[in-house]
Amino acid sequence: MLPRRSLLKGLGVGSVAMLAGGCGSTDPAAEAGEGPNYVLLFDQTKCVGCGRCEDACNQANNLPEGVARLTLERQSDRVPGAVCPRCGKTECNCDRKYVRVSCQQCDNAPCVMVCPTGAAYRDEKTGIVTMDGDKCAGCKYCIAACPYKVRFINSETKVAENCDFCLQSRLAKGELPACVSQCKFDALVFGDASDPKSYVARLLAVKNTARVKPHLGTEPSVHYIPIAKPEV
Amino acid sequence: MNGIDFSTGLGDAIAWPWPIAVYLFFAGISGGALAIALLMRIYKKQTQDTPLLKAAGVVSFVTICLGMLCLVLDLSNPLFFWKILLYYNLNSVMSLGVIVLLFYIPLTAVIAAIALRGELARFPQLKPLMPWLERLAAMRSPLEWLTLVLAVSVCAYTGFLISALIRFPIINTSLLPALFIVSGLSAGAAMAKMVAVKWFGESLHSEEMTLLHGAEWPIMAVEAMFLFMLFSGLIFGTGPSQAATQAFSQGGWSSLFWGGVIGLGFVLPLMLNFALGQKFAHSGRAFYLTGGSVICGMMCLRLFLLYAGQIYTI
Repeated sequence: MLPRRSLLKGLGVGSVAMLAGGCGSTDPAAEAGEGPNYVLLFDQTKCVGCGRCEDACNQANNLPEGVARLTLERQSDRVPGAVCPRCGKTECNCDRKYVRVSCQQCDNAPCVMVCPTGAAYRDEKTGIVTMDGDKCAGCKYCIAACPYKVRFINSETKVAENCDFCLQSRLAKGELPACVSQCKFDALVFGDASDPKSYVARLLAVKNTARVKPHLGTEPSVHYIPIAKPEV
Repeated sequence: MNGIDFSTGLGDAIAWPWPIAVYLFFAGISGGALAIALLMRIYKKQTQDTPLLKAAGVVSFVTICLGMLCLVLDLSNPLFFWKILLYYNLNSVMSLGVIVLLFYIPLTAVIAAIALRGELARFPQLKPLMPWLERLAAMRSPLEWLTLVLAVSVCAYTGFLISALIRFPIINTSLLPALFIVSGLSAGAAMAKMVAVKWFGESLHSEEMTLLHGAEWPIMAVEAMFLFMLFSGLIFGTGPSQAATQAFSQGGWSSLFWGGVIGLGFVLPLMLNFALGQKFAHSGRAFYLTGGSVICGMMCLRLFLLYAGQIYTI
């Protein structure tokens, strides 16, 4: 029988380890299991909203007019009517920041879960959520289920689509996603977070990163470096 | 660390528009009508083909077919419907529903055809079918039990289908399948009753009708309780759930709820049957008005849940 003290000690150490594991769950390297864990890091402090990423994506994935796999949402910190925190004027165009809107590549993806035909699926080799257009019946269950509203029907093929890190267009050829390769401001970093030597893993280790709606438990693979302003 | 979020999306704001609400409505009527008629048959140990059973058979088969039509027409390309029949994902509620419907739809046709075989025999074109129908009629009891289970499953399934959507606090609740079963039962019963009286020669005051009239009020009370539970679940929920309670107090969808779901579904039937005197309550006019308003109320419930539900997100 175990002495009570060492049992309690063991329990204590165990729970500390569990807690540490739990806290570190935003660190993708820690939660990675088998295989690669591809992540995309969007640096809000570097993005100027030029839109090159959007154009590159549309071109690389042959998207028809009017639909997009990614977009930039323009946001502002300013309270309407108050002075701009950058230039001090009340009327200006300089207080703006951009947020990348695209498939969050959830580890626990609601779209894959609900898809009745298995058209929305996780690629076995890369773990990336992508689409088998031949199986998609166009029921839009995945669009309704996605908590990020980033799935859409391609107006040409009539099947659902999402950003899959260019898995089907470029990744297979060993190229970077189109948006990443076209970003002139290094605002996008793509890589395998389960490889501790990769640039993205090292960035995630040192930068203050966030994910969108992490409380939903979807474990998104898109990470953001938000513009952090000191509280006034 | 700052929170980060975006509010724009890439798809339409409402992924599932009104045809899906109409489908949920038809599926509920279909399952509810057949379940009520079969329960009556089993409870009363009936052996003859009652007008209620005939009516319920016709109603459930016709409504489920119309529902399927809505479902297929809402696909981004209706010609893709075969893919749902060919590929399956057993993690998906929709896929499980397809399997249920695959058995349920032919069974409703069989149940209706057995109950109506007297009427069908009058058509000379259907003569070759009759020996088959007699053979199926021999296995009637197990078929009816199976159909009863599937009918309730179809009602519940429409609830499970939309409650699986995690980002909508109003519809992401385990209460929904139960609410859809009871509202399906009350509207399905109303529909089957009206068809039985109108086309199958059932008397307004037969023993079966009286029994159904009596059963409807407790079913409605349970439905009202479920609606109240849905509401209290939102009030006592987290921030987004509390914010979603606005759906019941603001905008056009709240008027649909109070006017359609509560007014047509509960208040008007109660008024027609208890406020205007016994004589009116026993009239044919009150019978059809009550049935119609209960059915409209159920349609409003599906519309409200689907639209208001999709507007308020986490």
